[in-house]
Amino acid sequence: MKTCIVRRGLPRIDAVPKVTGEARYTVDLKMPGMLIGKILRSPHPHARIRSIDVSAARELEGVLAVITAEDVPGTLFAFMQVMADKHILCTDKVRYVGDEVAAVAAVDDDTAEKAIGLIEVDYELLPPVLSVEDALKPDAPLVHEDKDSNLGFEVERLFGDPDKALAEADYVVEGTYVTHDLAHTCLEVSNCVVKWDKKDRVTVWTNTQAPHTQRQEVARLLGIPRANVRVISSYMGGGFGSKLVTDMKAPIAAVLSRITGRPVRIVNTRSEEFTTAKTRYPYTIHLKTGANKDGRIVVRDMTVIGDNGAYHDKGPATINFSAMMFGTLYNVPNIRAVGKLIYTNRQMGTAFRGFGNPQMAFATESQLDELAEKMGMDPLELRLRNANHAMETTSCGAEVCGCAMTECMEIAAERIGWKQKRNGANGTVLRGVGLANMVHTGGGGRFYGYNSTEAFIKLSDDGTVTLITSALDMGQGAHTAMAQIAAEELGVRLSDVIVLSNDTDLTPYDLGAWGSRATFMNGNAVFEAAREARLALIEAAAEMLEVPAADILVEEGQISVKGSDEKHAIAEIVDHSVNEHGWTISGTGRFVDKLPEGYTIKSAFAKNIPCFSFGTQAVEVEIDAETGQVHVLKVIAAHETGTTINQVMAEGQIEGSVVQGIGFALMERLISEEGRIVNDRFLDYKIPNIGDIPEIEAVCVESEGTKGPLGAKGIGEPGLVPTAPAIANAIYDAIGVRFHELPITREEVVKALREKRE
Amino acid sequence: MKRELHLTVNGVSYHRLIDTHRTLLEVIRDEIGLTGTKNGCGQGECGACTVLLDGEPVNSCMVLAHEADGHDVVTIEGLADGAVLHPVQRAFVETGAIQCGFCTPGMVLSAKALLDRNPDPTRQEILDGLKGNLCRCTGYVKIIEAVQAASCLLDEEEAS
Repeated sequence: MKTCIVRRGLPRIDAVPKVTGEARYTVDLKMPGMLIGKILRSPHPHARIRSIDVSAARELEGVLAVITAEDVPGTLFAFMQVMADKHILCTDKVRYVGDEVAAVAAVDDDTAEKAIGLIEVDYELLPPVLSVEDALKPDAPLVHEDKDSNLGFEVERLFGDPDKALAEADYVVEGTYVTHDLAHTCLEVSNCVVKWDKKDRVTVWTNTQAPHTQRQEVARLLGIPRANVRVISSYMGGGFGSKLVTDMKAPIAAVLSRITGRPVRIVNTRSEEFTTAKTRYPYTIHLKTGANKDGRIVVRDMTVIGDNGAYHDKGPATINFSAMMFGTLYNVPNIRAVGKLIYTNRQMGTAFRGFGNPQMAFATESQLDELAEKMGMDPLELRLRNANHAMETTSCGAEVCGCAMTECMEIAAERIGWKQKRNGANGTVLRGVGLANMVHTGGGGRFYGYNSTEAFIKLSDDGTVTLITSALDMGQGAHTAMAQIAAEELGVRLSDVIVLSNDTDLTPYDLGAWGSRATFMNGNAVFEAAREARLALIEAAAEMLEVPAADILVEEGQISVKGSDEKHAIAEIVDHSVNEHGWTISGTGRFVDKLPEGYTIKSAFAKNIPCFSFGTQAVEVEIDAETGQVHVLKVIAAHETGTTINQVMAEGQIEGSVVQGIGFALMERLISEEGRIVNDRFLDYKIPNIGDIPEIEAVCVESEGTKGPLGAKGIGEPGLVPTAPAIANAIYDAIGVRFHELPITREEVVKALREKRE
Repeated sequence: MKRELHLTVNGVSYHRLIDTHRTLLEVIRDEIGLTGTKNGCGQGECGACTVLLDGEPVNSCMVLAHEADGHDVVTIEGLADGAVLHPVQRAFVETGAIQCGFCTPGMVLSAKALLDRNPDPTRQEILDGLKGNLCRCTGYVKIIEAVQAASCLLDEEEAS
């Protein structure tokens, strides 16, 4: 396929505003009369609210509103309304340290802070449940007293006959793997400005990954028609899943705005971001894998216990998605996936890049190395024998179209020096290499019962192309990717394309930026819009030049006629068309990801995924036996991209994911004491800095067969999925210690080495 | 308590009455209205608010505005010459060292300060020079490339 704009590593269209400080983020917005809102949060993990006294706060000069549960709609909310369990402001009980109890609006930050300090809440402390184990005890206190137990959600999926397969398999390994809670730590904290205007319209300026669904959520929370809510996002300082589901800041600010008649801003402090902005769901995974002597994996049986935190968010979807990826990887014939979510008096979890898949991959890919060892087989060989293939339908129903898994493995193994370095063969005792595979969606999912979107293009008489798309750019580069797809198909230069997005009054309904979805879904709609606009352009050119449309070529911003040297700028054609005839030139693109035959939301499971993306990471580590420090020396990250839309940005997605994966594996963890998170700042919650990164080689492996735009698939999340198990496997190769729990800290390594010596 | 404050920001003199407990970051963003300088943590731990104070990179959230009284501040808005980007900015754009862009202003200014001190830094010197600036998106790979590229661009500029 010949391409002019895509594949190249062109600079992002928003690079200049970002590098000059011109780019305005939501947190930079200022409005006349704007008030500062602040939230009083629970200091206790579990307590009954006896009374709240706001009188002193109300009397403070500069305070314009103080609200409690009595002043806000009594809606119970959750991402899935059938699981609704959270109020805007707590009514009778608080369920985690950080739960919203009251809020104020004041003229400035200092006054708002002071007012918060003047609110007196009388709490009756209740015994908290601070771990999944405690929550499951028969006499455990209930996080939600209207429920029978702390079990928040349960699912079981069965394919084949795993019990029989486990009994008959030549080899079976079994183990428990534990992952922890992590913070997204977007550099721009979660924040919003809300204005409730005189026409009863609520405008929410916020950093969101999903403006249209957030609009519905805010309307639902406030009990007002959707038509009365408009969501506007700006340049956005990161998302990583943390900004998919609304939190209570938006409805609280809305109520404060209604009362005061002024726009109200609420901005998380960095501490609030660590303690209330939700976490990666911590998983405890009980896993069995069985294989036959020929190296074929015949069965996998997994039970995931997830810590839900105090309220429902994306937990059920996360558990389900983990199970889908679990079922798809290696096309294992017999699969059982059991998932449970347990309420605790802890910060709630939410989506986080990879959506449960990194947790699960840590278990499955660690265990695969344990299985290989038991079988006396090279772990790479075991993986090669079980690789997924293009055009297969797996036992759990996944329809794999393009698949470059084998190629990814070969590239990663070759470039890390697998043969030379494995089993301490590199001569250094405390060095090792390991690898891990992954599968992930490369195009979102049909989880809502549909997966579709729309885009519009118009050409102006100066040759400018305006693209209206719902593709949400949280920093990953979706706008640039969309502009490249439009420019490629239209035959214009990238600099001719202007992207308009991020306002629900302007953009078509869309599910948002998650599940590595934008390139595939929004990209397909943009491609269709560009195709339609191109046809309109050709028609206009044929009329103007008085030649058959079939003879018109559009390339690099110019129109030419077959068999002639004549060239016309696109602007010339559009100008003629618009100003001579009044014919405007535009295109509408709609992409509806076709549901498989017999699809139902309940039964679909892996058939929810329109496009799979495979990848392999190979890692070399060195261990310092004295300090326990794991130095990741090198990461080869080979990931399938279909057709790479932007080489540099795709590498950037992989590199950024790998470094988040290193944080997940070795460094990051929210630490709680009696339900209170104590490391609520960057000094204590250490994310990788520039000195912590290894040599990273991101390899975009192109493959055919996907239905993405120009053959592309998403690459936003995959790079984080296999990093932790690849590191754990490399550590095992280096020192012969198998870690079943993340993060693998220096203390744990030192302890393990000591135990091994004894 | 408010006190008079004289600041030069990007070559422009400002004279304001400012509370003594305000930080340089607050004054730059809220009083002067230059929002390119970002607040990532307000605790001096992420580097997003880095500005150059008399040429030296500082976390402006950790400097009281009055400590900068009479001094010269450069923010990200002061780096380009009109529409012509500074070589460090150009390098960040061209190498793909920008994703969400929230850390970028601070990262670019730290990189400029590093290159002012040491025009030809080794990889290790780049790592040491930018350790105070956190980025959650890029994985830093292309930021390192950008600083290396900027070093070359500055060399070329000097030679021409």
